[in-house]
This record gives sequence, C-alpha cells and structure tokens, in this order.
Amino acid sequence: MKNVITGVSRIRMNALNEVMADLSERTQAFRSVCDLERLTVAAVELVLKEAGILIPVGKDTVGIYIGIDDAIEEIKNEYLRNIVEEGLLGASPLLFPFTSPNALAAQATIVFDIRGESIVMPCRGSMKNIAAYADERVCEGSMKMAITGSIFSLEKAAPGDRQNHEASFYVIESAESATSRGARTYENETELFA
Amino acid sequence: MRERVLVTGIGIITPLRPFAGLDSFWNALCAGEDVITVKDPPFLDLGRKWPMAAIERSAFPDEMRTEEKAGFLAEEALRRAMHDSGLDIKSSLNRNRAGIVVGTVLGNILYKEVTMAENGFVLPDNEKKNRHRDGYNDSLSSLASGLADKYRLSGPVITVSTACASGTDALGIAAGKIRTGQADIMIAGGIDVLSSFALAGFHSLQALTHDRVRPFDRNRDGLALGEGAAFLILESDKHARSRGSRVYAGLSGYASRADANHLTGPHREGRGLSAAIRGAFLDAEMDFSELDYINAHGTGTPYNDLMETRAIKNVFGDMAYRIPVSSTKSMLGHSFGAAGVIEAICCILAIRTGVIPPTINFHERDAECDLDYTVNVAKEKKVGIAMSQSAGFGGQNSAVLFAQA
Repeated sequence: MKNVITGVSRIRMNALNEVMADLSERTQAFRSVCDLERLTVAAVELVLKEAGILIPVGKDTVGIYIGIDDAIEEIKNEYLRNIVEEGLLGASPLLFPFTSPNALAAQATIVFDIRGESIVMPCRGSMKNIAAYADERVCEGSMKMAITGSIFSLEKAAPGDRQNHEASFYVIESAESATSRGARTYENETELFA
Repeated sequence: MRERVLVTGIGIITPLRPFAGLDSFWNALCAGEDVITVKDPPFLDLGRKWPMAAIERSAFPDEMRTEEKAGFLAEEALRRAMHDSGLDIKSSLNRNRAGIVVGTVLGNILYKEVTMAENGFVLPDNEKKNRHRDGYNDSLSSLASGLADKYRLSGPVITVSTACASGTDALGIAAGKIRTGQADIMIAGGIDVLSSFALAGFHSLQALTHDRVRPFDRNRDGLALGEGAAFLILESDKHARSRGSRVYAGLSGYASRADANHLTGPHREGRGLSAAIRGAFLDAEMDFSELDYINAHGTGTPYNDLMETRAIKNVFGDMAYRIPVSSTKSMLGHSFGAAGVIEAICCILAIRTGVIPPTINFHERDAECDLDYTVNVAKEKKVGIAMSQSAGFGGQNSAVLFAQA
C-alpha cells in the first residue's frame, strides 16, 4: 500500500511567538512549562490543519511519532543543576516530566486528543528512523494516519539557546485514505525518508 | 503472510541475583525474594534515604567507574543474550540484516551527575575523551549506537524513549523490523540505572513508597525505583529454524496507545491501556480467551494499580477474574526502560516453566482491585500465552503478547 503526505508544517523557535498568535484557542490556552513543548504543540496544530484533520482528533487510529535531538538534554541539565545546588528542594515536579523526551509528544496527544501510538525516538543527525517507522505503521494498517516529525537544532548553538531549534511535521496516510477524503498531497517531500 | 518473530536468546541483569544467570534469577523471583532495601542515593547526597532495588557496587568490577554503570550493564546483558542464542557474532551473522532497538528513559544519566558534581556544568574538552572512555556519552541515543558499533550491526539502530513503556515499545518496534522484512535478527532491550536524578524527581511527585512495594494491596503507597538491563534476541522464524536455534517463545502481538489525558497521571478508567491490550490481540490475531497470564505494570501506586485493574476488566469482562495477574515490581522495583523487557522475560519464562511468579507484600485486599493477583506465593499453571503490559508518564500504554512456539 502506497502512503502519501497530506500535511506539512515547519516552525522555528525564533518565530514561535508570531505563529502562536494565529493558532486556536485550544493551543493558546494550553499551559506549558518549556519552550520545546510550545514549539511541538504549535507545529502539530499547524500540520493537522494543513492536512484538513478535525481537532480534537479523538481517534486511536491516529498516531504521533517524534524524533528529537539532544535538545532535551538541556532540560535535564537545568533540572539537575537545581538539585546539585539546592538538594531535594531543587527538584521541580513541574520540570521533571519534561526530562523524558516523550513528554513533548504526550502534550500534543493531550492538547489534540490523539489516542493512537505515541512514539519518541531520540537521535542525532538523520531523522529517518522515526519517519520510516511512522510510514511502516500506516503501511501495516496498525495506524490509519501518522503525524510524524522532528525537533532538532539547525546549527550548533550555545548551551541553553534553543532559538535555532525547528519543529518539522508531516501527516502520512494511505493514498486511498487521502483520496477518499479529498486531501491535498505533497509530492516534493521525499527527503523525509532519505 | 507476515514473518513470525521468535525469541531465541535472553540476557538479563537485575538487582535479584544480578550476575548469577537466568535460572538463578527466575528461581529467586518465583521464591518471592525481595531485594528492595532502604539506601542512600547512588551518587549525589540528597540528605535522605529511600527504599530501592539496587545492584550492589561489589557486584561490579573494581575498575568500573560510577558513570560507566549503564554502559556496563547494557553490554553485559546483551553479551549474555547473544551467548544464550548461540549466535556467532564473528562469523555467522549477516550484519546488514541485524539491528538493535534500545528502550531507555534516562540512559547514561550518571554521566551527567558525575560531571556536574565534579566539573560543574560543562565538561572541559580535554576531559571528554577520558570521561567517555567506554564509548558512550550522555546522549540518549548513545547506548544503541555504541552497542551497534561494538557488534558492527548495520541494520536498523534505534533508541526509543516512551517513559516507563520504553522497554515494551523497544520489543514491538524490533519485532516490526523483522515482520516487515527489514531484518532477520533484532536485538531488543531496555536499560536504566538508579540515579539521584530519578529519586529526587519521583520524590517530588510523591510517588515513592515509604517502605515496601505492595502492588494491588489496599495499603499500597507508592513505587520503589530499581535498575537493570535486559535484552532479547528476536529472529525471524525462517532464520531461527535455518540455524537450529533454541526457541523460547514467539512474540505474537504488540500495540501502543496514548491516554491523551494527563502528563503524569494515568487515565482513571484505563482507556489507553485497554486500547493497547485490544490492539495487541488484534495484531496477534488471537482471542481474549486464549490468555493464560498477565505480567502487570503493577508499580504499587494507588492510581496505576487501580487503572490497570479497570483496564483488564474493560477488555476481558468476566474472564478477567480467571486470568492470573502478577507484579514482579513488588520484588525488583521499577527500572523504567528496562522494566518492560524484564517483565516480558518473566512472561516467556512463565510459558517455559509453567510457573507464575508472585506479587509479594500483599496482605489486604482492595475492594476495587479484585482480580487474581497470584499473591505472595508462586503458582504452577500451564501458560500457553502471556501478556506483559506497561504504562508510563505522558499517558504511554503498551502491551506485548508471547506464545508458546
């Protein structure tokens, strides 16, 4: 079964505030702890809209698959530095869940009610593993639709500086599904699986 | 017709008889041996102690440094799995058709703790090489890529981090690579170590027990952290048969579903876990009535155990009361990314030996947790099909099914 891409979004951290102003009340009302979380949720809303998928999704046949580089390590460093400096009092119950990279995908599942698979693959360099896995799950019929993407730094930045981070997302579904719902398909995104 | 996936090798290291081998581990587990004791955190001084399941420092080589523990455990568990499977890594393995999936939540977190405590926030460049002398660093993907390099595996190399479902998801993802014909052999495992980082975090969320882990008991009050590494060798049926492998069991079905509900608490009715269990049965093309044993996530927290009980009842209805359920975390603690793989191994060994391990520290029944929890003493039962289920922060839920092969 051939899959196609029916939605694409790309947001850079330094443009996030500008983008947020145009997003739904749902996304604007969501209370976040860290900037990567806001970046992820904003990029997922954009890709859902672009693909013409109703929000909230409310289905367990739509999954989310995210690849993330070492950006999450900076959140861990912040959390750990507080413990080193202040002992147990420095352990933030708000920040602790975000030291696990799956929290970013989880926030997207919560905000948009995505009940299918939620898989996060930390990686360095190529994001092909996550895109390939999302593609496989749709091909196998395990999921009808996959929201897949990556959160990564475009170039080396100073520790703590995430302005160069970008979130890039796609919606993958079978050609049959895309045709049946009249979705637009993207032909020039083949680098996703390179 | 898709390729069957078989388990042909097991390597496991837990705080229970850590380096004594698989049989010793299983016998001690079925005897209800509890290794959870009150200790200081492993590295940073946090000014208090907690109950935890730790692998004693004396069990490791003298020359191993604190921050090398995760790498050491992963390598040793993987080596044992390879040896157990009889794979000759030097000659018989087609490396282009072999890959690895590692599930982990905190990876080499001890690198961070040691570095930050001894060197401040950033490690000077001239010390990085020495610090990472074992070939791993504090990047989460480092363990999978380092192990793949050491075994020169050229197939899929993947790290998965889905909180406490990481190990179970690693198994499912690896099995998928064989089913879809991308690999003949996949090494799939999980690894996590005790850290002050995790202890402080779970303490701040008030999730830790004060003394004992009592899964499903009315007086359960939280989890105890543990550590370990576990790997399975998964092979296609064709590949395993062609080399005459010993087969432990088949990995028959897997599914993962999100609660889409809350970042740190499970959906109260077990919506995501119910969906994951149903998905795993659909994937395996099996009927619910065929299930003989459930190894529960069973952390011993009030919310998790009630959620799991409800999810099991949602899916199996009246049959739920006839399926033995046990939580091996009552003895081993919660080892995050390793837990799902350790518990999968318990399912495989239950199939192989016909013994269901107990849920220890169970003394008082909770009116709402009313299933057959195999309390305090192991029981003999023929097990043809067993399921391990995992749940995690972020509303992660996964289930994996094993069947006698």
